[in-house]
Amino acid sequence: MAPPNLSQRAPSPSPSQPSGKSEISDLKMQLRQLAGSRALGTDDSKRDLFKKVISYMTIGIDVSSLFSEMVMCSATSDIVLKKMCYLYVGNYAKGNPDLALLTINFLQKDCRDEDPMIRGLALRSLCSLRVANLVEYLVGPLGLGLKDGNAYVRTVAAMGVLKLYHISASACIDAEFPSMLKRLMLNDPDPQVVANCLSSLQDIWSLEASTSEEAAREREALLSKPIVYHILNRIKDFNEWAQCLILDLASNYIPSESDEIFDIMNLLEDRLQHANGAVVLATIKVFLHLTLSMTDVHQQVYERIKAPLLTLVSAGSPEQSYAVLSHLHLLVMRAPMLFSSDYKHFYCQYSEPSYVKKLKLEMLTAIANESNTYEIVTELCEYAANVDVSIARESIRAVGKIALQQYDVNAIVDRLLQFLEMEKDYVTAETLVLVKDLLRKYPQWSHDCIAVVGNISSKNVQEPKAKSALIWMLGEYSQDMADAPYILENLIENWDDEHSSEVRLHLLTAVMKCFFKRPPETHKALGAALAAGLADSHQDVHDRALFYYRLLQYDTSTADRVVNPPKQAVSVFADTQSSEIKDRIFDEFNSLSVIYQKPSYMFIDKEHRGPGDLSEELGNLSVGSEPVDNTLPTQRYEANDNDLLLSTSEKEESRVQASDSSAYSAPEYDSSSLSLVSTGIQSEAPLSVPGLPAYNPQASTDIDDLLGLGLSITPAPPPLKLHPKAVLDPGTFQRKWGQLGISLSQEFSMEPRGVAALTTPQALLRHMQGQSVQCIASGGQPPNFKFFFFAQKADEPSSFFLVECLINSSSAKVQVKIKADDGGASDAFWTLFKSALSKFGLP
Amino acid sequence: MAGAVSALFLLDIKGRVLVWRDYRGDVSAVQAERFFTKLIEKEGDPESQDPVVFDRGVTYMFIQHNNVFLMAASRQNCNAASILLFLHRVVDVFKHYFEELEEESLRDNFVVVYELLDEMIDFGYPQYTEAKILSEFIKTDAYRMEVTQRPPMAVTNAVSWRSEGIHYKKNEVFLDVVESVNILVNSNGQIIRSDVIGALKMRTYLSGMPECKLGLNDRVLLEAQGRSTKGKAVDLDDIKFHQCVRLARFENDRTISFIPPDGSFDLMTYRLSMQVKPLIWVEAQVEKRSRSRIELTVKARSQFKERSTATNVEIEVPITSDATNPDVRTSMGSATYAPENDALVWKIRSFPGGKEYMMRAEFTLPSISAEEATPERKAPIRVKFEIPYFTVSGIQVRYLKIIEKSGYQALPWVRYITMAGEYELRLI
Repeated sequence: MAPPNLSQRAPSPSPSQPSGKSEISDLKMQLRQLAGSRALGTDDSKRDLFKKVISYMTIGIDVSSLFSEMVMCSATSDIVLKKMCYLYVGNYAKGNPDLALLTINFLQKDCRDEDPMIRGLALRSLCSLRVANLVEYLVGPLGLGLKDGNAYVRTVAAMGVLKLYHISASACIDAEFPSMLKRLMLNDPDPQVVANCLSSLQDIWSLEASTSEEAAREREALLSKPIVYHILNRIKDFNEWAQCLILDLASNYIPSESDEIFDIMNLLEDRLQHANGAVVLATIKVFLHLTLSMTDVHQQVYERIKAPLLTLVSAGSPEQSYAVLSHLHLLVMRAPMLFSSDYKHFYCQYSEPSYVKKLKLEMLTAIANESNTYEIVTELCEYAANVDVSIARESIRAVGKIALQQYDVNAIVDRLLQFLEMEKDYVTAETLVLVKDLLRKYPQWSHDCIAVVGNISSKNVQEPKAKSALIWMLGEYSQDMADAPYILENLIENWDDEHSSEVRLHLLTAVMKCFFKRPPETHKALGAALAAGLADSHQDVHDRALFYYRLLQYDTSTADRVVNPPKQAVSVFADTQSSEIKDRIFDEFNSLSVIYQKPSYMFIDKEHRGPGDLSEELGNLSVGSEPVDNTLPTQRYEANDNDLLLSTSEKEESRVQASDSSAYSAPEYDSSSLSLVSTGIQSEAPLSVPGLPAYNPQASTDIDDLLGLGLSITPAPPPLKLHPKAVLDPGTFQRKWGQLGISLSQEFSMEPRGVAALTTPQALLRHMQGQSVQCIASGGQPPNFKFFFFAQKADEPSSFFLVECLINSSSAKVQVKIKADDGGASDAFWTLFKSALSKFGLP
Repeated sequence: MAGAVSALFLLDIKGRVLVWRDYRGDVSAVQAERFFTKLIEKEGDPESQDPVVFDRGVTYMFIQHNNVFLMAASRQNCNAASILLFLHRVVDVFKHYFEELEEESLRDNFVVVYELLDEMIDFGYPQYTEAKILSEFIKTDAYRMEVTQRPPMAVTNAVSWRSEGIHYKKNEVFLDVVESVNILVNSNGQIIRSDVIGALKMRTYLSGMPECKLGLNDRVLLEAQGRSTKGKAVDLDDIKFHQCVRLARFENDRTISFIPPDGSFDLMTYRLSMQVKPLIWVEAQVEKRSRSRIELTVKARSQFKERSTATNVEIEVPITSDATNPDVRTSMGSATYAPENDALVWKIRSFPGGKEYMMRAEFTLPSISAEEATPERKAPIRVKFEIPYFTVSGIQVRYLKIIEKSGYQALPWVRYITMAGEYELRLI
């Protein structure tokens, strides 16, 4: 037997231990000897042996061959021995279901032990075996456990039900455990039992809800007033983690009247002072979600939660700051003024980890406004010289972003230009990219910037993005930079050493631009560039070179107009996230979604989605006679992603229409189409399109015909009549929705009366039906409602209009997307639809 | 909390699994280990890695403590803030059990570690993280022998943070009022940010179920009681209390009443965003004597009342990384060169108020240096200190009453101390 003091320490885990095998058989022997022994001190020797076994198990040595010996030794009253034994069994049962059967007997016996501690532990181990064919042995002990006189056993049993559900859902439902849990949740005096019942029920019902209507109702019932109030009134009895759970439940509760909202907020107000940051955040979520529909109260809530949030950022661990800052960032996006005077809280400390610093920089960028920009930019400039290069880069980018948001940028431009004089490669690189963006927005600064940029030697710029930016400026402002053609020529000479295709593309375009501005000086360079481009192995580079070559061959003046069209300044750079996505993230406040800045459906597998997931609900909710397939929501997301592209092309088209009578001299330049292409130079491709038809008015109508638009030549359409009883089955709707492009996308504000009447989606559906617009699916919870409508032309049965309509009842905003078989009629339909919608809520 | 934890890992500094507990059976330890070792290898410096990372459907959330990583894995959209906080609580619990949480202490105590992990989370949902409560039913070798196992009574008490039947021969309470000053001074000498984070730290050695009441010179309370508040009341922003404090009572009449847990805990924390005069002001001047010699003059001035004294003052002055042979003289304390931080560390054991001390250092630069390149910007000057018997905010404990039904007399001991928190001066 091993001396006890030696076994206190785990054996060194050297894998080269030659005696690994023999030691296990040694252990086996010793365990056997002890199994039957009743001598005094047996438990102590057992304990040492068990410890050894557990240590081996932990460091990855397979000790599963000891299974039967361990089980034999499990007959003991020593609780520590029992725990070790349970641990061992739990670890190896899944791999050895047959052996696991051996343990059932003693576990079941322990479940009836007189010591509640042992009952609880045995029940937990029994439920954690995760062996499907042992389910039958679980039901009995679990039922007893739920009725046990000791609260510890009941807490374990409440969780055990959920474990059983995950092993065998049917066994769990058949034994009617959920209803027992519900009774326990409402009646048990012990808070932790209640909390565990709640988490089990939430998990079970939301998983079950997809297959059973009853379960869906039960899940709704968890959010009913009596249950939520019952638990909320007791919230102070619960421990901090259980409080988080309850608060999360409360944040999904929908009060029926505004008095309730205030009652709940009054009840929970003091939770904002809880020492546990998780409780504070969960309370904040409740407050924010409850008041969504009450704009001014919502604003007051923001004021109230400000101080606790700021404390959470500066006190506590850096990890907590990280999580809280992510949330602050989300809030600032919704209420930009909120922290504008507290900007100093987001100054970086030298010793903070860079993940915190990065988020702080984002915050500073987001809250910069006219009143604090000067201070913030000054602070950011300090970071530009930071030892941490990645933070230095981020802060330069932040300065640039602020510049692009602001109107008054004098000071900022100066600062940026100072960066260029710092002569640090990475600072120069970041700054160049920014200066390029700035010039696109504020062309009036070109004079100052170009003077400084001209002094930068292209040899010091290596990063492709920065190099591209520099080359773009060389091309764009070649008339102002004396050396431009020669610098370009130099760069072209080193064509083969340039690895980035992005840079080579920019080089081609720049040299083209330069050529039209200063032909004699650039002639040679252009020839070299085209030759090199045509020989390039990269497809895009090759194609662009070929395109330019042919363009020049065709007509040089056309080529000039293509590469050097008049440009208008970009007014706003597009936000990359749609507002719908942002709202979804906000719905999932206090979860990973906020940290990843993505709604959960983008990163969580379907089977792991938590309770209350909106996307699933949308799929399940249907109002039409036939349920809409679950695939609809996914398609919707795709459609959403496409929206970005689609909307531009639409705008492009409308512009063609506007300018087709040769409005070339002042093309209505749409900023959003440009902003989509962030690299800058490529943006000229779509730009030149509106110019082209001006040369050949005939061609423009041809193109329009080709696109099936015909908008410009169609006379005013006859008044649109809708079929009062249109029929469309969900399958066809879905197919059509997938096939058709969006012919109209609009956003408008709804009448307050309409919003007030929108208590449930059904109310609106009936109203729209009266206007010959049918609903095929709807869903959502206040404040976000979503509807899919369709309508049919009265005289043309094959021509449908499909509508996706998003209504936010707190902001009273309505977003509508219309797809139509007959695109030409969508404007007329839109008028009809809008008037129908605005009549909603009128007496 | 929406979303359950799938598994909890304890990993060594290289990211290898020491111990792990699988709660839901939907993540693989092998994959987690492979992912995590790669992650910390790639970054080199784990400090710069976000504490929440996503890989193949699994979210990993981790914190580091000494040479151990604690990592929670989940496949659900869980509540990140609360899980990260939970991991810190796990550290506290381990510290309570093993004195210090490090690789060795884990290796020595696999069994207790498993026991604790089982009671702290069940099927992914946090259960109890109060070390005091857990030690009710998970005994370590040290005192397992003397007490027979009891069912975990306290777990299910109404007062979940304190168990019944605690007895001390001498009933004592220690209350430390600790304020840490965060200050940020920019290169023009302007204070751009200052705030004070305060904490009331308590250690209680009290028998039975004592009822405590704490009185502070809180302006709101004093004004409500109609007392004069001239000069001695404080405005506390954003107070946070330990869960034992009856929050509703505080909301009503600003009384802080509670049944304390046994042992040490933070009763209350608060934040004051007031303009604080830097308690210790440090200025540095760099003079270039020749191409290869630099002289550095540092002045440190204490700007608090003479009756207070700062102790353990440590001033860290950054110098260029290529400096060698520093020759340092100080008017008080001692200074050493710490090449690992590229800094001079000047230590003054006792620094009374209203005094000024100097440090002069001369060091050599390599004779071949880059030509007049713009000077490399460096770290700020950082200062650490403690000032006992003093609070910046002026907070005072007016009384601490302890009432227990057995009627014993308890002795409250109150101490005040102010320390430097994030104290940075960019004055070099």
